[in-house]
Amino acid sequence: MIDFEHVTKIYETKNDENVALEDVSLHIDEGEFVFVLGHSGAGKSTFLKLMLMEEKPTEGVVAINGQDLTRIKRRKVPYMRRQMGCVFQDFRLIPTMTVYENVAFAMRVTNISTKTIKSRVPFALSLVGLEDKMDRLPDELSGGEQQRVAVARALAHGPKLIIADEPTGNIDPEMSMDIMQLFEAINKVHITVVVVTHEHELVHKLAAKYNNRIITLAHGQIADDTAHPEVAREYAARMAERESEEVYAE
Amino acid sequence: MRFSSFTYLVGQGWHNMRANRLMTFASMGVLTVCMLLVGAAFLVGINIDAMVEYIGEQNQTIVYLQDGLTEEQTAAVDSAIRAIPGVVGVTYVSPEEVLQRYDSELQLDSRTSLAAAFADDIPFDANYIVVVDDLKNLSGILPQLLAIDGVTDLRSPLELSEVFLSLQRAITYAGYGMVGVLALVSIVIINNTIRITVFSRRKEIGIMKLVGATNGFIRFPFFVEGVTSGLLSAAIASGIICGAYYALIRWYGEHQNNITQMFGGSLVPLQEVWYILVVAFAAFGFVLCGIGTATSIRKHLNV
Ligand SMILES: Nc1ncnc2c1ncn2[C@@H]1O[C@H](COP(=O)(O)OP(=O)(O)OP(=O)(O)O)[C@@H](O)[C@H]1O
Ligand SMILES: [Mg+2]
Repeated sequence: MIDFEHVTKIYETKNDENVALEDVSLHIDEGEFVFVLGHSGAGKSTFLKLMLMEEKPTEGVVAINGQDLTRIKRRKVPYMRRQMGCVFQDFRLIPTMTVYENVAFAMRVTNISTKTIKSRVPFALSLVGLEDKMDRLPDELSGGEQQRVAVARALAHGPKLIIADEPTGNIDPEMSMDIMQLFEAINKVHITVVVVTHEHELVHKLAAKYNNRIITLAHGQIADDTAHPEVAREYAARMAERESEEVYAE
Repeated sequence: MRFSSFTYLVGQGWHNMRANRLMTFASMGVLTVCMLLVGAAFLVGINIDAMVEYIGEQNQTIVYLQDGLTEEQTAAVDSAIRAIPGVVGVTYVSPEEVLQRYDSELQLDSRTSLAAAFADDIPFDANYIVVVDDLKNLSGILPQLLAIDGVTDLRSPLELSEVFLSLQRAITYAGYGMVGVLALVSIVIINNTIRITVFSRRKEIGIMKLVGATNGFIRFPFFVEGVTSGLLSAAIASGIICGAYYALIRWYGEHQNNITQMFGGSLVPLQEVWYILVVAFAAFGFVLCGIGTATSIRKHLNV
Protein backbone atom coordinates (compact mmCIF):
# COMPACT_ATOMS: atom_id res chain seq x y z
CA MET A 1 0.00 0.00 0.00
CA ILE A 2 2.70 2.50 1.00
CA ASP A 3 6.23 2.37 -0.36
CA PHE A 4 9.19 4.58 0.46
CA GLU A 5 12.25 3.88 -1.67
CA HIS A 6 15.45 5.62 -0.59
CA VAL A 7 13.55 8.75 0.30
CA THR A 8 15.53 11.79 1.34
CA LYS A 9 13.86 15.05 2.23
CA ILE A 10 15.94 18.16 2.64
CA TYR A 11 14.26 21.46 3.53
CA GLU A 12 16.12 24.34 1.98
CA THR A 13 16.03 27.42 4.14
CA LYS A 14 17.76 30.74 3.58
CA ASN A 15 20.90 29.92 5.49
CA ASP A 16 21.14 26.17 5.66
CA GLU A 17 19.76 22.83 4.62
CA ASN A 18 17.66 20.79 6.99
CA VAL A 19 17.81 17.08 6.46
CA ALA A 20 14.43 15.83 7.69
CA LEU A 21 14.57 12.32 6.20
CA GLU A 22 17.63 10.49 5.04
CA ASP A 23 17.50 7.46 2.74
CA VAL A 24 14.33 6.04 4.21
CA SER A 25 12.98 2.83 2.66
CA LEU A 26 9.98 0.93 3.96
CA HIS A 27 6.85 -0.84 2.93
CA ILE A 28 3.49 -0.77 4.69
CA ASP A 29 0.93 -3.38 3.67
CA GLU A 30 -2.73 -2.86 3.14
CA GLY A 31 -4.61 -3.33 6.41
CA GLU A 32 -1.58 -2.73 8.59
CA PHE A 33 -1.64 -0.57 11.71
CA VAL A 34 1.61 1.32 12.14
CA PHE A 35 2.72 3.58 14.95
CA VAL A 36 5.52 5.99 14.12
CA LEU A 37 7.58 7.08 17.11
CA GLY A 38 10.57 9.39 17.38
CA HIS A 39 12.05 12.38 19.12
CA SER A 40 10.99 15.88 18.22
CA GLY A 41 12.44 16.81 14.85
CA ALA A 42 13.04 13.18 13.93
CA GLY A 43 11.09 13.65 10.71
CA LYS A 44 7.75 12.11 11.67
CA SER A 45 5.57 14.88 10.31
CA THR A 46 7.70 15.07 7.19
CA PHE A 47 7.10 11.37 6.69
CA LEU A 48 3.34 11.96 6.71
CA LYS A 49 3.52 15.13 4.60
CA LEU A 50 5.22 13.17 1.85
CA MET A 51 2.29 10.75 1.81
CA LEU A 52 -0.20 13.61 1.78
CA MET A 53 1.69 15.27 -1.09
CA GLU A 54 2.14 18.39 0.96
CA GLU A 55 5.85 18.02 0.37
CA LYS A 56 7.87 16.36 -2.36
CA PRO A 57 10.86 14.16 -1.64
CA THR A 58 14.24 15.61 -2.53
CA GLU A 59 15.32 12.16 -3.64
CA GLY A 60 13.69 8.76 -3.88
CA VAL A 61 10.16 7.61 -4.55
CA VAL A 62 7.03 7.66 -2.42
CA ALA A 63 4.25 5.48 -3.78
CA ILE A 64 0.74 4.73 -2.61
CA ASN A 65 -1.10 1.81 -4.21
CA GLY A 66 1.72 1.59 -6.71
CA GLN A 67 1.22 5.24 -7.75
CA ASP A 68 4.44 7.22 -7.70
CA LEU A 69 3.39 10.39 -5.91
CA THR A 70 6.27 12.39 -7.35
CA ARG A 71 5.06 11.69 -10.88
CA ILE A 72 1.43 12.44 -10.26
CA LYS A 73 -0.04 15.37 -12.18
CA ARG A 74 -1.07 18.36 -10.10
CA ARG A 75 -4.57 17.97 -11.39
CA LYS A 76 -4.75 14.44 -10.02
CA VAL A 77 -3.48 15.28 -6.54
CA PRO A 78 -6.97 15.94 -5.08
CA TYR A 79 -8.23 12.59 -6.34
CA MET A 80 -5.26 10.84 -4.78
CA ARG A 81 -5.98 12.60 -1.46
CA ARG A 82 -9.52 11.30 -1.50
CA GLN A 83 -8.15 7.83 -0.94
CA MET A 84 -6.84 8.98 2.40
CA GLY A 85 -8.23 10.51 5.54
CA CYS A 86 -6.12 12.58 7.87
CA VAL A 87 -6.30 13.68 11.48
CA PHE A 88 -4.12 16.31 13.12
CA GLN A 89 -3.10 17.37 16.58
CA ASP A 90 -5.03 20.67 16.23
CA PHE A 91 -8.27 18.96 15.00
CA ARG A 92 -8.68 21.47 12.13
CA LEU A 93 -12.41 21.83 12.55
CA ILE A 94 -14.17 24.93 11.26
CA PRO A 95 -15.35 26.79 14.36
CA THR A 96 -18.40 28.37 12.72
CA MET A 97 -19.80 25.05 11.55
CA THR A 98 -21.62 22.50 13.63
CA VAL A 99 -20.28 19.00 14.09
CA TYR A 100 -22.60 17.75 11.36
CA GLU A 101 -21.62 20.54 8.97
CA ASN A 102 -17.92 19.98 9.57
CA VAL A 103 -18.20 16.39 8.42
CA ALA A 104 -20.66 17.20 5.63
CA PHE A 105 -18.42 20.01 4.39
CA ALA A 106 -15.49 17.67 3.81
CA MET A 107 -17.72 15.31 1.86
CA ARG A 108 -19.32 18.12 -0.09
CA VAL A 109 -16.02 19.46 -1.39
CA THR A 110 -15.18 16.07 -2.82
CA ASN A 111 -18.30 16.18 -4.95
CA ILE A 112 -20.30 13.55 -3.05
CA SER A 113 -24.07 13.66 -3.60
CA THR A 114 -26.32 15.30 -1.05
CA LYS A 115 -28.18 12.05 -0.58
CA THR A 116 -25.03 10.16 0.30
CA ILE A 117 -23.93 12.95 2.63
CA LYS A 118 -27.24 12.89 4.48
CA SER A 119 -26.94 9.19 5.23
CA ARG A 120 -23.19 8.98 5.69
CA VAL A 121 -22.60 11.86 8.12
CA PRO A 122 -24.80 10.50 10.92
CA PHE A 123 -23.29 7.06 10.32
CA ALA A 124 -19.72 8.36 10.60
CA LEU A 125 -20.63 10.34 13.73
CA SER A 126 -22.25 7.30 15.31
CA LEU A 127 -19.03 5.34 14.71
CA VAL A 128 -17.19 7.83 16.93
CA GLY A 129 -20.06 8.00 19.42
CA LEU A 130 -21.14 11.56 18.71
CA GLU A 131 -24.50 11.04 17.04
CA ASP A 132 -26.25 12.97 19.80
CA LYS A 133 -23.93 16.00 19.50
CA MET A 134 -24.31 16.65 15.80
CA ASP A 135 -25.69 20.16 16.24
CA ARG A 136 -23.02 21.42 18.61
CA LEU A 137 -20.27 23.78 17.60
CA PRO A 138 -16.68 22.55 18.04
CA ASP A 139 -16.21 25.02 20.92
CA GLU A 140 -18.94 23.26 22.83
CA LEU A 141 -17.08 19.94 22.79
CA SER A 142 -14.15 18.60 24.79
CA GLY A 143 -10.80 18.12 23.06
CA GLY A 144 -11.34 14.39 22.80
CA GLU A 145 -14.77 14.90 21.28
CA GLN A 146 -13.43 17.43 18.80
CA GLN A 147 -10.81 14.93 17.74
CA ARG A 148 -13.49 12.31 17.30
CA VAL A 149 -15.31 14.67 14.97
CA ALA A 150 -12.08 14.99 13.02
CA VAL A 151 -11.84 11.19 12.87
CA ALA A 152 -15.43 10.97 11.66
CA ARG A 153 -14.61 13.53 8.99
CA ALA A 154 -11.55 11.54 7.92
CA LEU A 155 -13.66 8.40 7.64
CA ALA A 156 -16.77 9.81 6.03
CA HIS A 157 -15.67 9.56 2.41
CA GLY A 158 -14.58 5.96 2.86
CA PRO A 159 -10.78 6.16 2.56
CA LYS A 160 -8.49 3.13 2.40
CA LEU A 161 -5.83 4.84 4.47
CA ILE A 162 -6.01 6.92 7.62
CA ILE A 163 -3.06 9.11 8.55
CA ALA A 164 -2.85 10.79 11.94
CA ASP A 165 -0.20 13.26 13.16
CA GLU A 166 -0.10 13.33 16.97
CA PRO A 167 -3.86 12.90 17.21
CA THR A 168 -3.70 12.81 21.01
CA GLY A 169 -1.27 15.70 21.40
CA ASN A 170 -3.92 18.08 22.69
CA ILE A 171 -6.00 15.60 24.61
CA ASP A 172 -5.78 14.40 28.19
CA PRO A 173 -4.43 10.87 28.73
CA GLU A 174 -7.72 9.04 29.36
CA MET A 175 -9.24 10.49 26.22
CA SER A 176 -6.07 9.58 24.32
CA MET A 177 -6.71 5.94 24.97
CA ASP A 178 -10.24 6.36 23.56
CA ILE A 179 -8.97 7.94 20.38
CA MET A 180 -6.33 5.27 19.89
CA GLN A 181 -8.90 2.54 20.45
CA LEU A 182 -10.99 4.23 17.81
CA PHE A 183 -8.13 3.90 15.33
CA GLU A 184 -7.77 0.24 16.28
CA ALA A 185 -11.47 -0.25 15.54
CA ILE A 186 -11.09 1.49 12.19
CA ASN A 187 -8.18 -0.81 11.38
CA LYS A 188 -10.43 -3.80 12.09
CA VAL A 189 -12.42 -3.06 8.94
CA HIS A 190 -9.26 -3.35 6.89
CA ILE A 191 -8.39 0.34 6.67
CA THR A 192 -4.65 0.96 6.79
CA VAL A 193 -3.76 3.24 9.71
CA VAL A 194 -0.56 5.22 10.26
CA VAL A 195 -0.39 7.08 13.56
CA VAL A 196 2.47 9.40 14.48
CA THR A 197 2.80 10.00 18.20
CA HIS A 198 5.35 10.39 20.96
CA GLU A 199 3.30 8.65 23.62
CA HIS A 200 5.60 5.66 24.02
CA GLU A 201 3.77 4.05 26.93
CA LEU A 202 0.42 4.15 25.27
CA VAL A 203 1.87 2.81 22.03
CA HIS A 204 3.58 -0.11 23.67
CA LYS A 205 0.49 -1.00 25.64
CA LEU A 206 -1.70 -0.96 22.52
CA ALA A 207 0.87 -2.61 20.28
CA ALA A 208 1.16 -5.49 22.69
CA LYS A 209 -2.57 -5.95 22.74
CA TYR A 210 -3.32 -5.47 19.05
CA ASN A 211 -0.01 -6.59 17.62
CA ASN A 212 0.67 -3.27 15.89
CA ARG A 213 3.83 -2.43 14.06
CA ILE A 214 6.05 0.28 15.54
CA ILE A 215 8.48 2.26 13.41
CA THR A 216 10.91 4.50 15.27
CA LEU A 217 12.51 7.41 13.49
CA ALA A 218 15.67 9.10 14.72
CA HIS A 219 17.48 11.94 12.97
CA GLY A 220 15.63 11.28 9.77
CA GLN A 221 16.38 7.58 9.63
CA ILE A 222 14.53 4.45 10.63
CA ALA A 223 16.09 3.43 13.91
CA ASP A 224 13.76 0.54 14.62
CA ASP A 225 10.93 -1.36 12.99
CA THR A 226 9.18 -4.12 14.95
CA ALA A 227 8.22 -5.83 11.70
CA HIS A 228 11.84 -5.93 10.57
CA PRO A 229 14.25 -6.54 13.44
CA GLU A 230 17.25 -6.26 11.11
CA VAL A 231 16.52 -2.56 10.64
CA ALA A 232 17.56 -1.79 14.20
CA ARG A 233 20.81 -3.71 13.79
CA GLU A 234 21.64 -1.92 10.53
CA TYR A 235 20.91 1.43 12.13
CA ALA A 236 23.11 0.62 15.13
CA ALA A 237 25.92 -0.45 12.83
CA ARG A 238 25.59 2.72 10.77
CA MET A 239 25.67 4.89 13.87
CA ALA A 240 28.71 3.07 15.22
CA GLU A 241 30.48 3.57 11.90
CA ARG A 242 29.72 7.28 11.89
CA GLU A 243 30.86 7.64 15.43
CA SER A 244 34.18 6.00 14.67
CA GLU A 245 34.56 8.22 11.60
CA GLU A 246 34.03 11.24 13.80
CA VAL A 247 36.52 9.99 16.34
CA TYR A 248 38.98 9.31 13.53
CA ALA A 249 38.45 12.80 12.14
CA GLU A 250 39.29 14.29 15.48
CA MET B 1 -19.91 18.86 -11.34
CA ARG B 2 -23.14 17.82 -9.69
CA PHE B 3 -26.02 20.23 -9.62
CA SER B 4 -26.14 20.02 -5.83
CA SER B 5 -22.44 20.91 -5.72
CA PHE B 6 -23.06 23.81 -8.06
CA THR B 7 -25.83 25.26 -5.93
CA TYR B 8 -23.75 24.65 -2.85
CA LEU B 9 -20.79 26.57 -4.30
CA VAL B 10 -22.96 29.44 -5.46
CA GLY B 11 -24.42 29.55 -1.96
CA GLN B 12 -20.91 29.58 -0.52
CA GLY B 13 -19.98 32.51 -2.74
CA TRP B 14 -22.98 34.50 -1.55
CA HIS B 15 -22.31 33.49 1.99
CA ASN B 16 -18.80 34.93 1.66
CA MET B 17 -20.26 38.19 0.40
CA ARG B 18 -22.53 38.46 3.43
CA ALA B 19 -19.76 37.49 5.80
CA ASN B 20 -17.64 40.33 4.39
CA ARG B 21 -20.51 42.71 3.89
CA LEU B 22 -18.56 45.86 4.66
CA MET B 23 -15.89 45.04 2.12
CA THR B 24 -18.50 43.86 -0.35
CA PHE B 25 -20.40 47.14 -0.05
CA ALA B 26 -17.24 49.20 -0.35
CA SER B 27 -16.05 47.40 -3.45
CA MET B 28 -19.48 47.41 -5.04
CA GLY B 29 -19.69 51.15 -4.32
CA VAL B 30 -16.42 51.76 -6.13
CA LEU B 31 -17.45 49.50 -9.00
CA THR B 32 -20.76 51.30 -9.33
CA VAL B 33 -19.06 54.69 -9.41
CA CYS B 34 -16.63 53.44 -12.05
CA MET B 35 -19.50 52.21 -14.18
CA LEU B 36 -21.40 55.46 -13.71
CA LEU B 37 -18.39 57.45 -14.88
CA VAL B 38 -17.95 55.23 -17.91
CA GLY B 39 -21.68 55.42 -18.60
CA ALA B 40 -21.73 59.20 -18.28
CA ALA B 41 -18.79 59.49 -20.66
CA PHE B 42 -20.59 57.24 -23.08
CA LEU B 43 -23.78 59.32 -22.89
CA VAL B 44 -21.92 62.58 -23.39
CA GLY B 45 -20.07 61.04 -26.31
CA ILE B 46 -23.15 59.62 -27.96
CA ASN B 47 -25.00 62.92 -27.65
CA ILE B 48 -22.12 64.87 -29.10
CA ASP B 49 -22.05 62.36 -31.94
CA ALA B 50 -25.74 62.87 -32.47
CA MET B 51 -25.37 66.64 -32.47
CA VAL B 52 -22.49 66.53 -34.90
CA GLU B 53 -24.49 64.25 -37.09
CA TYR B 54 -27.50 66.50 -36.86
CA ILE B 55 -25.44 69.47 -37.85
CA GLY B 56 -23.90 67.43 -40.61
CA GLU B 57 -27.35 66.62 -41.93
CA GLN B 58 -28.01 70.33 -41.87
CA ASN B 59 -25.19 70.67 -44.36
CA GLN B 60 -27.27 73.31 -46.03
CA THR B 61 -26.09 76.78 -46.36
CA ILE B 62 -28.94 79.06 -47.28
CA VAL B 63 -27.97 81.77 -49.71
CA TYR B 64 -30.45 84.66 -49.73
CA LEU B 65 -30.94 86.55 -52.95
CA GLN B 66 -31.64 90.18 -53.50
CA ASP B 67 -35.28 91.08 -53.98
CA GLY B 68 -36.54 91.29 -57.56
CA LEU B 69 -33.70 89.72 -59.48
CA THR B 70 -34.36 89.04 -63.12
CA GLU B 71 -34.26 85.55 -64.46
CA GLU B 72 -30.95 86.21 -66.11
CA GLN B 73 -29.43 87.55 -62.92
CA THR B 74 -30.72 84.53 -61.05
CA ALA B 75 -29.21 82.22 -63.62
CA ALA B 76 -25.88 84.07 -63.27
CA VAL B 77 -25.96 83.59 -59.51
CA ASP B 78 -26.81 79.94 -60.06
CA SER B 79 -23.84 79.29 -62.31
CA ALA B 80 -21.54 81.34 -60.04
CA ILE B 81 -22.46 79.15 -57.11
CA ARG B 82 -21.98 76.00 -59.12
CA ALA B 83 -18.56 77.19 -60.22
CA ILE B 84 -17.22 77.21 -56.67
CA PRO B 85 -15.12 74.08 -56.07
CA GLY B 86 -16.55 71.85 -53.36
CA VAL B 87 -20.16 72.74 -53.95
CA VAL B 88 -22.06 69.58 -54.75
CA GLY B 89 -25.66 70.61 -54.57
CA VAL B 90 -27.54 73.75 -55.48
CA THR B 91 -31.29 73.98 -55.15
CA TYR B 92 -33.33 76.99 -56.00
CA VAL B 93 -36.14 77.75 -53.64
CA SER B 94 -38.70 80.23 -54.92
CA PRO B 95 -40.58 82.52 -52.51
CA GLU B 96 -43.68 80.40 -53.17
CA GLU B 97 -41.90 77.29 -52.03
CA VAL B 98 -40.66 78.98 -48.89
CA LEU B 99 -44.20 79.93 -48.09
CA GLN B 100 -45.37 76.41 -48.78
CA ARG B 101 -42.82 74.99 -46.39
CA TYR B 102 -43.69 77.31 -43.56
CA ASP B 103 -47.32 76.50 -44.13
CA SER B 104 -46.81 72.78 -43.73
CA GLU B 105 -44.29 73.08 -40.89
CA LEU B 106 -46.47 75.31 -38.77
CA GLN B 107 -49.37 72.91 -39.27
CA LEU B 108 -52.13 75.31 -38.49
CA ASP B 109 -55.61 73.90 -38.47
CA SER B 110 -57.09 73.01 -41.80
CA ARG B 111 -59.19 76.12 -42.17
CA THR B 112 -56.36 78.58 -41.86
CA SER B 113 -53.96 78.38 -44.73
CA LEU B 114 -50.83 80.45 -44.54
CA ALA B 115 -50.30 79.92 -48.23
CA ALA B 116 -53.70 81.31 -49.03
CA ALA B 117 -53.31 84.28 -46.72
CA PHE B 118 -50.07 85.47 -48.24
CA ALA B 119 -50.68 84.28 -51.78
CA ASP B 120 -50.67 87.78 -53.24
CA ASP B 121 -47.79 89.33 -51.44
CA ILE B 122 -45.19 86.80 -50.41
CA PRO B 123 -42.96 88.20 -47.65
CA PHE B 124 -40.05 85.81 -48.38
CA ASP B 125 -37.01 86.16 -50.59
CA ALA B 126 -35.96 83.51 -53.02
CA ASN B 127 -32.90 81.57 -51.93
CA TYR B 128 -30.53 78.81 -52.83
CA ILE B 129 -29.78 75.85 -50.65
CA VAL B 130 -26.15 74.97 -51.13
CA VAL B 131 -24.66 71.65 -50.08
CA VAL B 132 -20.90 71.19 -49.88
CA ASP B 133 -18.92 67.98 -50.28
CA ASP B 134 -17.16 68.14 -46.93
CA LEU B 135 -17.82 70.28 -43.89
CA LYS B 136 -14.11 70.93 -43.57
CA ASN B 137 -14.14 72.94 -46.83
CA LEU B 138 -17.02 75.11 -45.76
CA SER B 139 -15.02 77.91 -44.19
CA GLY B 140 -13.35 78.53 -47.58
CA ILE B 141 -16.59 78.39 -49.49
CA LEU B 142 -18.69 80.80 -47.42
CA PRO B 143 -16.83 84.05 -48.39
CA GLN B 144 -16.94 83.03 -52.04
CA LEU B 145 -20.69 82.68 -51.84
CA LEU B 146 -21.07 86.04 -50.19
CA ALA B 147 -18.96 87.68 -52.89
CA ILE B 148 -21.39 86.72 -55.65
CA ASP B 149 -23.40 89.57 -57.08
CA GLY B 150 -27.05 89.43 -56.01
CA VAL B 151 -26.38 87.49 -52.79
CA THR B 152 -27.46 89.45 -49.73
CA ASP B 153 -26.96 87.07 -46.87
CA LEU B 154 -25.99 83.57 -45.81
CA ARG B 155 -27.19 81.36 -43.07
CA SER B 156 -24.98 78.46 -42.06
CA PRO B 157 -25.20 76.61 -38.76
CA LEU B 158 -21.95 74.97 -39.64
CA GLU B 159 -19.56 77.45 -38.12
CA LEU B 160 -19.80 75.35 -34.98
CA SER B 161 -18.97 72.15 -36.73
CA GLU B 162 -15.21 72.43 -36.36
CA VAL B 163 -15.40 73.06 -32.67
CA PHE B 164 -17.66 70.07 -32.42
CA LEU B 165 -15.49 67.77 -34.41
CA SER B 166 -12.51 68.46 -32.17
CA LEU B 167 -14.69 68.14 -29.08
CA GLN B 168 -15.92 64.80 -30.36
CA ARG B 169 -12.37 63.59 -30.85
CA ALA B 170 -11.27 64.78 -27.41
CA ILE B 171 -14.21 63.10 -25.75
CA THR B 172 -13.56 59.85 -27.58
CA TYR B 173 -9.95 59.76 -26.41
CA ALA B 174 -10.80 60.84 -22.88
CA GLY B 175 -13.51 58.19 -22.84
CA TYR B 176 -11.12 55.42 -23.84
CA GLY B 177 -8.55 56.59 -21.30
CA MET B 178 -11.16 56.71 -18.58
CA VAL B 179 -12.47 53.25 -19.37
CA GLY B 180 -8.91 51.94 -19.16
CA VAL B 181 -8.17 53.56 -15.83
CA LEU B 182 -11.49 52.60 -14.30
CA ALA B 183 -11.18 49.05 -15.54
CA LEU B 184 -7.86 48.82 -13.77
CA VAL B 185 -9.33 50.32 -10.61
CA SER B 186 -12.16 47.81 -10.70
CA ILE B 187 -9.81 44.87 -11.13
CA VAL B 188 -7.68 46.01 -8.22
CA ILE B 189 -10.71 46.52 -6.00
CA ILE B 190 -12.15 43.08 -6.69
CA ASN B 191 -8.73 41.51 -6.42
CA ASN B 192 -8.43 42.98 -2.94
CA THR B 193 -11.89 41.97 -1.85
CA ILE B 194 -11.39 38.39 -2.90
CA ARG B 195 -7.99 38.33 -1.29
CA ILE B 196 -9.57 39.31 2.00
CA THR B 197 -12.18 36.57 1.63
CA VAL B 198 -9.49 34.05 0.82
CA PHE B 199 -7.53 35.17 3.84
CA SER B 200 -10.49 34.96 6.18
CA ARG B 201 -11.23 31.48 4.87
CA ARG B 202 -7.69 30.16 4.68
CA LYS B 203 -8.40 27.57 7.34
CA GLU B 204 -11.34 26.17 5.42
CA ILE B 205 -9.32 26.24 2.23
CA GLY B 206 -6.53 24.27 3.92
CA ILE B 207 -9.03 21.66 5.07
CA MET B 208 -10.62 21.52 1.64
CA LYS B 209 -7.25 20.81 0.07
CA LEU B 210 -6.49 18.09 2.60
CA VAL B 211 -9.71 16.24 2.05
CA GLY B 212 -9.14 16.33 -1.69
CA ALA B 213 -11.12 19.25 -3.07
CA THR B 214 -10.06 20.16 -6.59
CA ASN B 215 -8.72 23.63 -7.33
CA GLY B 216 -11.76 24.39 -9.39
CA PHE B 217 -14.02 23.49 -6.50
CA ILE B 218 -12.06 25.69 -4.12
CA ARG B 219 -12.00 28.63 -6.52
CA PHE B 220 -15.56 28.52 -7.72
CA PRO B 221 -17.19 30.34 -4.76
CA PHE B 222 -14.69 33.16 -5.11
CA PHE B 223 -15.67 33.57 -8.72
CA VAL B 224 -19.30 33.56 -7.68
CA GLU B 225 -18.51 36.29 -5.17
CA GLY B 226 -16.50 38.42 -7.61
CA VAL B 227 -18.88 38.07 -10.50
CA THR B 228 -21.97 38.62 -8.34
CA SER B 229 -20.43 41.83 -7.00
CA GLY B 230 -19.78 42.89 -10.57
CA LEU B 231 -23.26 42.09 -11.78
CA LEU B 232 -24.98 43.68 -8.78
CA SER B 233 -22.92 46.81 -9.30
CA ALA B 234 -23.93 46.74 -12.95
CA ALA B 235 -27.60 46.51 -11.98
CA ILE B 236 -27.29 49.41 -9.54
CA ALA B 237 -25.32 51.53 -11.99
CA SER B 238 -27.82 50.79 -14.78
CA GLY B 239 -30.71 51.87 -12.57
CA ILE B 240 -29.03 55.07 -11.49
CA ILE B 241 -27.80 56.12 -14.90
CA CYS B 242 -31.05 55.35 -16.71
CA GLY B 243 -33.03 57.26 -14.08
CA ALA B 244 -30.69 60.21 -14.17
CA TYR B 245 -30.59 60.29 -17.96
CA TYR B 246 -34.35 60.12 -18.16
CA ALA B 247 -34.60 63.09 -15.83
CA LEU B 248 -31.98 64.96 -17.86
CA ILE B 249 -33.87 64.35 -21.10
CA ARG B 250 -37.04 65.78 -19.60
CA TRP B 251 -35.24 68.75 -18.14
CA TYR B 252 -33.55 69.41 -21.47
CA GLY B 253 -36.84 69.18 -23.28
CA GLU B 254 -38.35 71.78 -20.99
CA HIS B 255 -35.44 74.16 -21.19
CA GLN B 256 -35.08 74.81 -24.88
CA ASN B 257 -33.50 77.90 -26.37
CA ASN B 258 -31.93 78.99 -29.66
CA ILE B 259 -28.72 77.15 -28.99
CA THR B 260 -30.31 73.86 -28.05
CA GLN B 261 -32.53 74.19 -31.11
CA MET B 262 -29.51 74.54 -33.28
CA PHE B 263 -28.36 71.10 -32.12
CA GLY B 264 -31.58 69.37 -32.86
CA GLY B 265 -33.44 70.28 -29.71
CA SER B 266 -33.42 66.86 -28.09
CA LEU B 267 -31.03 64.35 -26.55
CA VAL B 268 -30.62 60.79 -27.75
CA PRO B 269 -33.72 59.08 -26.36
CA LEU B 270 -33.39 56.63 -23.46
CA GLN B 271 -34.87 53.73 -25.41
CA GLU B 272 -31.98 53.93 -27.86
CA VAL B 273 -29.27 53.68 -25.19
CA TRP B 274 -30.53 51.84 -22.12
CA TYR B 275 -29.82 48.34 -23.37
CA ILE B 276 -26.36 49.36 -24.50
CA LEU B 277 -25.67 50.64 -20.98
CA VAL B 278 -27.07 47.56 -19.28
CA VAL B 279 -25.21 45.11 -21.48
CA ALA B 280 -21.98 47.09 -21.30
CA PHE B 281 -22.18 47.39 -17.51
CA ALA B 282 -22.91 43.70 -17.12
CA ALA B 283 -20.03 42.79 -19.40
CA PHE B 284 -17.78 45.31 -17.63
CA GLY B 285 -18.70 43.83 -14.25
CA PHE B 286 -18.48 40.23 -15.38
CA VAL B 287 -15.19 40.40 -17.22
CA LEU B 288 -13.33 42.72 -14.88
CA CYS B 289 -14.49 40.97 -11.73
CA GLY B 290 -13.60 37.66 -13.30
CA ILE B 291 -10.11 38.97 -14.01
CA GLY B 292 -9.85 40.49 -10.55
CA THR B 293 -10.85 37.20 -8.93
CA ALA B 294 -8.58 35.11 -11.12
CA THR B 295 -5.56 37.27 -10.40
CA SER B 296 -6.16 37.26 -6.67
CA ILE B 297 -6.74 33.55 -6.18
CA ARG B 298 -3.97 32.40 -8.45
CA LYS B 299 -1.44 33.58 -5.95
CA HIS B 300 -3.26 32.48 -2.84
CA LEU B 301 -4.60 29.09 -3.70
CA ASN B 302 -1.46 27.29 -4.74
CA VAL B 303 -1.95 23.68 -3.91
N1 LIG C 1 9.05 23.74 6.32
C1 LIG C 1 10.24 23.46 6.87
N2 LIG C 1 11.32 24.20 6.53
C2 LIG C 1 12.53 23.91 7.04
N3 LIG C 1 12.76 22.93 7.90
C3 LIG C 1 11.72 22.15 8.27
C4 LIG C 1 10.41 22.38 7.77
N4 LIG C 1 9.59 21.46 8.30
C5 LIG C 1 10.36 20.69 9.12
N5 LIG C 1 11.63 21.10 9.10
C6 LIG C 1 12.74 20.48 9.80
O1 LIG C 1 12.80 19.12 9.45
C7 LIG C 1 13.05 18.32 10.59
C8 LIG C 1 11.96 17.29 10.79
O2 LIG C 1 10.76 17.97 11.05
P1 LIG C 1 9.40 17.22 11.37
O3 LIG C 1 8.34 18.22 11.45
O4 LIG C 1 9.23 16.14 10.39
O5 LIG C 1 9.69 16.61 12.80
P2 LIG C 1 8.73 15.80 13.77
O6 LIG C 1 9.35 14.48 13.97
O7 LIG C 1 7.36 15.85 13.30
O8 LIG C 1 8.86 16.64 15.11
P3 LIG C 1 7.75 16.92 16.24
O9 LIG C 1 7.64 15.68 17.06
O10 LIG C 1 8.33 18.05 17.02
O11 LIG C 1 6.52 17.28 15.55
C9 LIG C 1 13.21 19.28 11.75
O12 LIG C 1 14.58 19.49 11.96
C10 LIG C 1 12.54 20.54 11.28
O13 LIG C 1 13.19 21.66 11.83
MG1 LIG D 1 5.52 16.74 13.93
